[in-house]
Amino acid sequence: MGSKPLIPGPEALFHFWPFPRGGDGPPVPDVAPDPDGSSNPGDQERPGTPVSDIHYDVAAPADGARTTAAEDAPARMATPGARERLLITGIAGGQGRLIARRLSDVFDVVGVDRVPWEGHPRHLRMHELDLRKRKFEDIFRTERPKAVVHLAFLRHFGADPELRHEVNVLGTKHLLEYCAAYGVERLVVLSSSYVYGALPENPYYMTEDSALNISRTYPEVRDLAEVDTLCSTFLWRYPQIRTSILRPVNTLGYYVHSAVGRYLNLDYVPTIQGFDPMAQFIHEEDVAEAVALAVETGLHGVFNVTGPGAVPIKVAIRESGGIPVAVPEPLARLVLGVLFQLGLYPFPLGALDFVKYSCTIDGSRFRDTTGFTPLFTLRDIFASVRR
Amino acid sequence: MNVTDIEAGAAAFVDQLRHLPIVRELGAEIDEQLRRCPTQLNEYDYDRWGLHPGVVARAAIVTGLWYRYWFRAETHGIEQLPTGRMLLIANHAGQVALDAAMIGAGMLLEADPPRIIRGMGEYWLPTVPFINIAMVRTGSVVGTRKNCVDLLEADECVIAFPEGVRGMNKLFSERYQLQRFGLGFMRLALETRTPVVPVAVVGSEEQAPAIANLKPLARVLQMPAFPITPTWPLLGPLGLIPLPVKYRIYFGEPMTFDGYHNDGDEIIGEKVEQVKDRIRSMIEIGLAERRQRGAISGIFL
Repeated sequence: MGSKPLIPGPEALFHFWPFPRGGDGPPVPDVAPDPDGSSNPGDQERPGTPVSDIHYDVAAPADGARTTAAEDAPARMATPGARERLLITGIAGGQGRLIARRLSDVFDVVGVDRVPWEGHPRHLRMHELDLRKRKFEDIFRTERPKAVVHLAFLRHFGADPELRHEVNVLGTKHLLEYCAAYGVERLVVLSSSYVYGALPENPYYMTEDSALNISRTYPEVRDLAEVDTLCSTFLWRYPQIRTSILRPVNTLGYYVHSAVGRYLNLDYVPTIQGFDPMAQFIHEEDVAEAVALAVETGLHGVFNVTGPGAVPIKVAIRESGGIPVAVPEPLARLVLGVLFQLGLYPFPLGALDFVKYSCTIDGSRFRDTTGFTPLFTLRDIFASVRR
Repeated sequence: MNVTDIEAGAAAFVDQLRHLPIVRELGAEIDEQLRRCPTQLNEYDYDRWGLHPGVVARAAIVTGLWYRYWFRAETHGIEQLPTGRMLLIANHAGQVALDAAMIGAGMLLEADPPRIIRGMGEYWLPTVPFINIAMVRTGSVVGTRKNCVDLLEADECVIAFPEGVRGMNKLFSERYQLQRFGLGFMRLALETRTPVVPVAVVGSEEQAPAIANLKPLARVLQMPAFPITPTWPLLGPLGLIPLPVKYRIYFGEPMTFDGYHNDGDEIIGEKVEQVKDRIRSMIEIGLAERRQRGAISGIFL
């Protein structure tokens, strides 16, 4: 990667990276980092990387939703004409590609992104456009998707804060309007566990009913909470549309452009002296599986999505091959504040709270409703980002 | 060696102490007790709330030395403890929360099976560098209702001091007079059907006898209290060392309560009063036992 962050950002911010950086920031590749440059993650399996197909077969079918979805898949594949149409926004990002691949056997997938997806699977239709533009409505009018997965969020700080807000909040608002107007039956929005905020008085394992406190200490990402709230309101206003809002924890893996991933990938990883909060992690394939379960089963509600467990942030740093360097907090705030103003450091100071206080969530509602079990252990997850 | 990792440095220091013969013996005992302790750890040896047995072992070496050799603590009735979830309710005294540490050492060294007590910390503790790490790794959490319910439902042993700072920072003239008890612990016990174990600590009141409490100064320093003892602040940091009193810790029979956890304060208060009475009577037993050894020498022997 060209520009590594000096310090973490709540990767909240970077579950996936569907859009290129704004003109003033350094360019960001629109494909996942590829060590040998030979394979395109879009249509080729990388040896040694778990692929979604295997993932799908191995999935221990709990009684209920997951079994049904698995049994339905072959039947739908046999009659392509009968497959439901699924629109995925932000499909060209790392997470979008995994979700598209996971669902393209079951659904007739249509993708929307502001950047192209070179070498996308042939049976998948791509539209390159901006969610804020009028053309986006045309997609709904012509494609008539029955299901929508919304992943198109700008989650970095390279661009103007106003642009970030506009893309995320206005883009979501438009999408919700079109969903209501054009007969969409199922909607899945990938929000984030960061909406709860990292505060000293946080209890461990917050449930979905906890307040969305992120804007209190981290105003730069208040659009995360606004998007989540917009969708929750939509969920109540249109009960006939099966809407689920998923809030996954720190997502790591080979394909996602996750800030927490880039943070952990530094050689010397800065932390705050005297703090080492517990952090939860989940593998990108498990997030894709969670989204797939939500869309296949027509899940309705707000759900935390958790992986195999939590470890202190310093354990995560060491396990992914970095050396934690503890910096006294006043020094960290001073230096990073200046660097952020100069555009040399990608995260605002609010991000520091996520390496200072814990923000852990309770994923039991999603597990109990869908039978979801994360397949990747903590060791697998850290191995997937280790150099 | 990573020079910025002060936590690792502190751990290495305690590990060095293990070369001393008396620490080696205690360390081996603690390791054995921890092996028998029912904790649920993940693949990196952390539990859901951030507890790490390695840190517990090191902390237990420090508190165990105080327990065995400074306070020469003795426990009574520890064999009556229930298995599984329990709520330890104790009196609080002595200006610094050494009573919690001594109960913790006793529960690890003397109970069968040994237990790691889970403390409910103040809301500002997570903002203090290093202290927050020590607190979490040794099994304590911020004292929110959710944390307490989760811990009890995971069959952990939670300790609470319903007197809070009212008990801890009272003056020497008020020693062994139980202050007002908060009601929250009883609601949690009812909600999670947890047995309450009354605990009385005798000795803690004399470890740092407070002559006065400078409340205005405490307010300026944003501390809960600023006690004046014969040695503090007269002797500086040395004045913080507690007197080598003898600790006597009494565990009562587990008490189970029935009822609705959202009942009114009077109904909950009656149940709390039963626990308070039990602790009071155990304190009386302890004080009587101590008096038999002499009015002053009983405090230290």
